[in-house]
Amino acid sequence: MSSSTAALGAPPRRRRSGGSLYFTAGILISAVFVLPLAWEVLRSFQPASAIISPPSLKSFSHLGVSNYRQLLTGQDDILRNVVNSLIVAIATSLLTSIVATLAGYGFGRFRFRGSGIAFAVVLVGFMVPFQAVLTPLFLELHYLHLLNSLIGLALFYTAFNLPFGVYVMRNTFLQVPRELVDAAKVDGASTMSTLTRVLRAIVMPGIATTFLYAFLFAWTEFLGALTFVTNGATYTLPVALSNVETNTYGSVNYGYLVAGAVIAMIPCIIVYVALQRYYVRGLVSGAVKG
Amino acid sequence: MAPITLDHVKKVYPNGFEALHGLDLHVDEGEFMVLVGPSGCGKTTALRMVAGLEDISGGTLRIGEKVMNDVSPKDRDIAMVFQNYALYPHMTVSENIGFALKLRKMPKDEIRRRVTDAAEVLGLTEWLDRKPGQLSGGQRQRVAMGRAIVREPSVFLMDEPLSNLDAKLRVQMRAEVLRIQRRLGVATLYVTHDQTEAMTMGDRVAVLRAGELQQCDSPQVLYDHPANLFVAAFIGSPAMNLFEGGLSADRRTLMIGDQHVAMPESVDAVRPGLRNYANKAVVVGIRPEHLVPATEGDPSVLDSKIDLVEALGSELLVHFAIDAKRVQAEGANEEAAEGLNAGQLEVHGEGVARLDPRADVKAGQRLRLAVDATRLHFFDPSSGAAIWD
Repeated sequence: MSSSTAALGAPPRRRRSGGSLYFTAGILISAVFVLPLAWEVLRSFQPASAIISPPSLKSFSHLGVSNYRQLLTGQDDILRNVVNSLIVAIATSLLTSIVATLAGYGFGRFRFRGSGIAFAVVLVGFMVPFQAVLTPLFLELHYLHLLNSLIGLALFYTAFNLPFGVYVMRNTFLQVPRELVDAAKVDGASTMSTLTRVLRAIVMPGIATTFLYAFLFAWTEFLGALTFVTNGATYTLPVALSNVETNTYGSVNYGYLVAGAVIAMIPCIIVYVALQRYYVRGLVSGAVKG
Repeated sequence: MAPITLDHVKKVYPNGFEALHGLDLHVDEGEFMVLVGPSGCGKTTALRMVAGLEDISGGTLRIGEKVMNDVSPKDRDIAMVFQNYALYPHMTVSENIGFALKLRKMPKDEIRRRVTDAAEVLGLTEWLDRKPGQLSGGQRQRVAMGRAIVREPSVFLMDEPLSNLDAKLRVQMRAEVLRIQRRLGVATLYVTHDQTEAMTMGDRVAVLRAGELQQCDSPQVLYDHPANLFVAAFIGSPAMNLFEGGLSADRRTLMIGDQHVAMPESVDAVRPGLRNYANKAVVVGIRPEHLVPATEGDPSVLDSKIDLVEALGSELLVHFAIDAKRVQAEGANEEAAEGLNAGQLEVHGEGVARLDPRADVKAGQRLRLAVDATRLHFFDPSSGAAIWD
């Protein structure tokens, strides 16, 4: 049938016009999202004085990397804060992904007494904004000697990312065909090797979502980091940037602000691009007849 | 290689639903046993219990001499083929086939040799590096078979492995599955809802209904000597014609609706049990091929009106109506019985005859059909049991 319709010529032409419409719309919508970012990147190469003046073509004649140089090599030692943030974000996302995967495997693939209630309790974590429990959390971390500690911060972020992670992973495991797990069992895989050797590749999109979500949360979180870390050497990037951007008298250095925002963007983009391939749908295709 | 024995095996779910009421079944070494029945009859549950994927609530399961009730699937030395193939999507064909061997920490050379052998048997050699997503349905089915045979298990379990294939491929794969099973000589338990598949493949066929075994015998015995109405209606395509009937006091006349069919004395020799049914109601079963256009002098004749003629080339399927109540065993024909609760369904007397393609018949005509009374089947209307001795 396809060859006969192709011979008529009409459907391909329609597809071509539909395609160009699709691409035009895609480019326009992308522009809405990309332009502010591009604008910010461009602005970050301007001196602070030019950033706050109204934009004009002339103001783009003095582009340079002074903002970055001062931010990265100045006395503020922002690189150390970048490393701190990376440690916290990576630890948070790894820990969240591992715990959420194991919990999701349990909730999604095993029937046990009280699983419904346990899952509901996990979801309650969704409903509690951590800002509301900041004081008890401060005391808790204090007693555990985890204030001013990157590990303490990572544990705190993990705890508040787990409800979402467990929810995502449970749903991901629920979608795995039962027969696939049965086949692994019959083939001789243990509960753990079923997870690590058979299901891992199939639930990867869920793991990637959980990882990315936790990474972005930990990388950008401000209030918790400001509360639980009081030592400048342990500051994460958002806290450190807010410190260097605002000088003693409260005026804001927009050069630092914009350059700092660009630096902060880079790891997010790298992690997103690295994990993006796992979002490709149809990973399970061919496993079972759909 | 080992026989499978189910001894009064029961399945009761936590909510109290009893899916199997004590199943007794023995599959000999090398035997191809088909479990057949309508959906929900417990056949897949039984198979999954043998595989170790469902707990056994009661009774004993043996593979060989060993009681397997609480043995984990991997230690039962079984291989299973699933309805939806259940291939690992991220592994290549050869990794899929060799996965179980790899888990058993078999040396790599040995795995490669076995995978290559299995691929050769199944004609998969050129696809070994492909992933399941790149294969057709038939090829995926073969990979699933390959995964089972490479293990050289003592028992094969197959859960409707051909039901996702198109009709032509299904016929081809039927032969292929049989060929492989014969070659390996492994006890096989094969679940299907398709009675044609059951008849063509099974050394023996076990017919299940609502968690109870109805009859287990060779396909021909099931066809010729069904134990009850359900088996009679389930086995055979087109299905047996079943009508409400009654015997006269001298048992020489059978009433089907308002028609009177002569019952020669020879019937008594075949069905001595009928002596208890003088002047009583019976269910009469007629296989479609036991109806032929009547000639002058035929003693046992049904007068019918032709509704529809299906010409299949090798035969004609003539759908006719007679003035009698048709009986249908619940569950045997799912489409017709859908929505019914229990008991038997009454539809006005329609039937099917399988006639010679050269028979001169047309829709709308009246047709006199001769029946050989010794080949009629009789069932007790209340219990549904076949009347033999």
